[in-house]
Amino acid sequence: MDQDNRVLSRKGARELTAQEVESVTGALIIRHTLSPCFIDKHQQLLNGDQNIGECGG
Amino acid sequence: MKLIVLAPEDDNHTAPIKWALEKAGHRVVCWAGLSWTKEGQASLLMDKDDTLVLGGHSVDPGDVVWVRRPELPLPNPNTSEADKKFASMEYRSFYHSIAYLLETLPVWCINRYSAARVIIQKAVQLRLARQCGLKTPATLMSNTPAAVRDFLARQGSRNICKGFTPHVWQKEGQRSVAITETFEIASEQLPTDEILTYAPAIYQEMVRKEFDVRMVLMGEKIYSYALTNTKKALDWRQDAGFGHVKADIIDTPPEVAKGVLAFARQSGICFGSLDFGVDAQGQWWFLEINEQGQFLWIDQFNRSARLLEKFCAFVTAPEGSTAPLEARENLFPSLEEYEDLLKREQVPPTARGRADDPFLSMEA
Repeated sequence: MDQDNRVLSRKGARELTAQEVESVTGALIIRHTLSPCFIDKHQQLLNGDQNIGECGG
Repeated sequence: MKLIVLAPEDDNHTAPIKWALEKAGHRVVCWAGLSWTKEGQASLLMDKDDTLVLGGHSVDPGDVVWVRRPELPLPNPNTSEADKKFASMEYRSFYHSIAYLLETLPVWCINRYSAARVIIQKAVQLRLARQCGLKTPATLMSNTPAAVRDFLARQGSRNICKGFTPHVWQKEGQRSVAITETFEIASEQLPTDEILTYAPAIYQEMVRKEFDVRMVLMGEKIYSYALTNTKKALDWRQDAGFGHVKADIIDTPPEVAKGVLAFARQSGICFGSLDFGVDAQGQWWFLEINEQGQFLWIDQFNRSARLLEKFCAFVTAPEGSTAPLEARENLFPSLEEYEDLLKREQVPPTARGRADDPFLSMEA
């Protein structure tokens, strides 16, 4: 990331390589679909603790 | 009595819990949320006897409604372009009517929608936690550059920054990603004032943690797990994904338990996942609560936790029961058994994809 106009949280974000993503989502799908964090092989999204099902304001 | 789960059937917590409850002879139905499809339709008849039907399932006195993770209301895509904005608002309003009405019916809501909406706000959580006697770190939520700089410049302080919501950035056409997590920040690392206005953030006094605690609240029962991160990272969540985290059952200090139960009573929630940091003096610092946070992963990290069985015991007990959940947890099968069936493809897979993920952005 070399742009200097990104939000601070992006600057502090943790970078995961494709291999790291695969190691999390590949062999241990069952474990990580339940995970408190994070990416899911099928969803490729945060599957974590926060829920926005509250349907906006 | 039946359990009505407001979530898709393949939600990663809904599926094993539904399976376990049904195996024990309980009735469970799911409603993924309001949508134009037959399964997503709802009707609310307000007459002498009010009648609410969600996806063909009537909501009856004595039912338990677990507001797990309903999907956003979905209007019919065939609606005229000229009417889509109106239809979308109508869907949203009807959904809110249903969600708020539920807590006025003779059913037990886990959690009540109004309570969930309030307590999901991080500022409310911290203030209420402090009022209930829990220790909370000094925190600034701001998009005002001068306030941020002043906060980080406090004498002798070490601070962290985190977002209000999690997010993933994925590079176009690649599998590599960047994921928000808590990170330490010092005054000299702050970007320009302009950048601090791009997105508000949470700046917080850093808790010098010896370990983290994930706590699960079920009614009057509190279950705490010490999370030891072999990588000693500030934020254990991603490392949990890599298997670097150990979860050990730990006693909750009485003063913390008292504060958490007071927090639950005052906020009106009966269920949630709480995070604490424990310092070298053994003090528990409240960090946050997610009222529908993930909890079954703890069963995978520590098979003796048996949170799936405890949750099943919780939702099938009378509302407000103080009887030990452990006394009834043996009535339900374990997550390990479910996982075994999942591996052998004898139960449907969980976690279907979503077309529009608000937590994911693409970047060049």
